[in-house]
Amino acid sequence: MTSRPGSSERCIIRPGAYACALGLLFAILSIAPLRAEDSSRPDQYDLLARGTKLVQEDRLDEAVLVFEQVPAPEPGEDAGVFVRAHMDAAKILFSKEDFKGSERLCREVLSVLPDNIDAKNLLSQVEVAKTPEWIRFLKDMKTFFPTLVKATSMTLILVFITMAVSPIGGFFIALGRISRHRVVSSVFWFYIWIFRGTPLLLQLFFIYYGLPSLGITFDPFTAAVLGLGLNYSAYLAEIMRGAIESIDAGQMEAAKAIGMTYWQAMRRIIVPQTYKRLVPPVGNEFIALIKDTALVSTIAMVELMRAANQIFSATFNVYILAQAAIIYLILTSIFTVSFRRLEDRLGVYENR
Amino acid sequence: MIELQGVVKRFGHFTAVDHVDLDIEAGQRIVIIGPSGSGKTTLLRMINFLEKMDEGVILMDGKPVGYRRDKKGRLVMEKPHVICPLRSEIGMVFQHFHLFPHMTVLQNVMEGPVTVKKEPKEDVRKLAMDLLGKVGLLDKKDTYPAFLSGGQKQRVAIARALAMRPRLMLFDEPTSALDPELVGEVFSTIKGLAEEGITMVIVTHQMGFAREMADRVIFMDNGKFIFEGHPEDLFSETMDHPRIRAFLQKVL
Repeated sequence: MTSRPGSSERCIIRPGAYACALGLLFAILSIAPLRAEDSSRPDQYDLLARGTKLVQEDRLDEAVLVFEQVPAPEPGEDAGVFVRAHMDAAKILFSKEDFKGSERLCREVLSVLPDNIDAKNLLSQVEVAKTPEWIRFLKDMKTFFPTLVKATSMTLILVFITMAVSPIGGFFIALGRISRHRVVSSVFWFYIWIFRGTPLLLQLFFIYYGLPSLGITFDPFTAAVLGLGLNYSAYLAEIMRGAIESIDAGQMEAAKAIGMTYWQAMRRIIVPQTYKRLVPPVGNEFIALIKDTALVSTIAMVELMRAANQIFSATFNVYILAQAAIIYLILTSIFTVSFRRLEDRLGVYENR
Repeated sequence: MIELQGVVKRFGHFTAVDHVDLDIEAGQRIVIIGPSGSGKTTLLRMINFLEKMDEGVILMDGKPVGYRRDKKGRLVMEKPHVICPLRSEIGMVFQHFHLFPHMTVLQNVMEGPVTVKKEPKEDVRKLAMDLLGKVGLLDKKDTYPAFLSGGQKQRVAIARALAMRPRLMLFDEPTSALDPELVGEVFSTIKGLAEEGITMVIVTHQMGFAREMADRVIFMDNGKFIFEGHPEDLFSETMDHPRIRAFLQKVL
């Protein structure tokens, strides 16, 4: 008993704070005059003290065996020591990843005190811990699936807006490019040069982080649409220019020969013939676009990539990234098939 | 009706058409022959303003049309709003047909009157069907050009040009791109038009055109007319121009 105060002091620097508290409790209880003596049952206070001492000496296996010997309380008897001892043992077993043993001890406590909060908490921790990692990951995937789907809708919104805007922009840039007007042509050449020649990521950064210092501020969504739209217009412009220039010069001559103006010929004769030729390269661009929307995650847009990354950082669940990859694959596959069909349909006038 | 005076066309230092005068009267059928590179096609394209001439005057009904002089006195072609109406009065048939591949045969023929002249579709459809009947392709009206033979394509091209009801038809080697067995059908289609009294200028290597339907034959060489007259005279034994004799011996 003389060592008690000393061991209490040692407790303070040891990790398990509960052991320290138990030491003090025992010190108080051991001098209590109202202690009931029963020689037929092992003394619960003695067992608790021995176990606690073993814990302090880092002899955990032995401590568990001692704690387990604390007998279940008689009806009406105070369950405090029994619960302490069993929970200590359960926690030791849990830390040693003996989930079965830990669970058994928790259940023993609960059979005496069905509402014990410590036992319930530990039991639920055991439940989680004893599930294999991949099952937990699968559960995560199920849990976060709605989040990813919601983020995917933002990805799709960006894709569809860019798909709607960039062909129009691209068409006019292409016409500007093939203009016989030197100045007009070089202005559009410059535009294409800039937007095809620098990374999309840099363009997004410039619009979202750079322009505010010039007094122009955009919210992330506007910045994302602007960046994607301007960039994809430049790419589509070059594709369209190529398609228009690939149409046989005789077509323009024939159109002019029946009295058409340049614009009539473009609208009725040249441009419609480019549609089929445009589908494969434009389809490729739009598939690339689906993947490029991931870049706007860097300018605070919550879309599929960013959502997946956020969940991954919180859970370290690699399956979430795989899940995002699968969603991207589904989207790109749908696009691939659709453009293939469109191409076939636009080619009806060809003799193949 | 249409008159060319002193027309010159140069490509760099090469003079493709060298001071040519040509008077096309209504109802005339003029056939231009001559070796390759002699300037026949270039001349034809200038009549239709598809090629800009460097010097000369084009008169339509006695009035100079299609060109003006800029500040430095150089000849400039007028803006499209002047040129396009002029072109729509002159039909052109190309060596390589240049049908619009994304349109059916009927749509090809209807395109000019509908888009350029803004005529009502129903009227144009009737006209187009008539013309397709005339060139013998009514049954192909809903076919796309890619499914036609060369001869059929060229007949559609003729119908397409006629649909604009031009005052003058230009044929630029209309049978040169055809397989020999397909020349006949195009030849007889054009002959049919000749019999209707349509004014036409035909550039060709087919002496048959010159012999059977020309009322004037022009032999062109090095950008100049070296013979202009009745076909009988060109093919006669008394033709003593060495260039022409050599050419005719080769092609006949």
